[in-house]
Amino acid sequence: MIPPKIIRFLEERASIGFAGTRDAKLVPSGHRVPAWHVDQSGRTLTVFIPDVSASRLLEALQDNGRIALTFEEIGTHETYQIKGQYLSHRPVRPAEVDLAGAMRERFARSLRTLYNDEHTSAMMAASIPSPSLAIEVGVDEVFVQTPGPGAGARIAP
Amino acid sequence: MTDARLPEEIRPALDNGVPCLMVTCSADGTPNATVISQVYYVDETRVALSFQFFSKTIKNVRENPRAWAGVMDVVGQVDWELDLEFERSETEGPIFDAMDMQIEAIASATGMSGIFKLRAADIYRVLSVDKHSYQP
Repeated sequence: MIPPKIIRFLEERASIGFAGTRDAKLVPSGHRVPAWHVDQSGRTLTVFIPDVSASRLLEALQDNGRIALTFEEIGTHETYQIKGQYLSHRPVRPAEVDLAGAMRERFARSLRTLYNDEHTSAMMAASIPSPSLAIEVGVDEVFVQTPGPGAGARIAP
Repeated sequence: MTDARLPEEIRPALDNGVPCLMVTCSADGTPNATVISQVYYVDETRVALSFQFFSKTIKNVRENPRAWAGVMDVVGQVDWELDLEFERSETEGPIFDAMDMQIEAIASATGMSGIFKLRAADIYRVLSVDKHSYQP
């Protein structure tokens, strides 16, 4: 399960997320994750996926269920990867669209700190798509992925 | 699958210094998603990715050569998706030297000097290229 320290990181500081899946022939594909919500038990999390990725992602998950999720705080490069299994999916709810908006603003804030340039930050924040699909994921493992020699170390279980 | 050709319009997304996403898959079917510094343009049918640490990504592509990379053109408001196949690794030569210089520039600009260090330039064939425009 996700350690409490990493739950706080995901809730308060992580500013960008991505998902990786693979098909039946082990061909990988990537997907933007514009928003996420962590269950306080740390055993599951829900990621919100844009329409552009939805069909390829669902096809992969319904084939084999395997998913890798990477979350980074822009600026510090603090990054964690969560590996898990697909549990279920459903359309996003209105409150989750609002959550994605709040996370887009967190992303923009981190970019303003990094670039000190309102125009660049606004353009990059605009690249974060709105979600249409919610995917519930059961957590198997958590890894440090912050760049450096410690990257890849497993921290849970 | 035959090689695809990288269109000229992808070049801004490869040269803008914005981090990219890379996904690989181990032989036992576990995907791995990681943020990388750069996708380097080699020629119309090849890109190079930086090998900086002995990572799961490096292990995966040596047992299953297929990979996926996503790059963003934030000015053109386009996401590019590349399906790739690992071909070879270079530890010297013009591609390595050019990537090394660019990685050092990115490291310096992002406070990661001394942490980002190029060990090898991994060369990939481009199998397909997809473009997705987005609206702000």
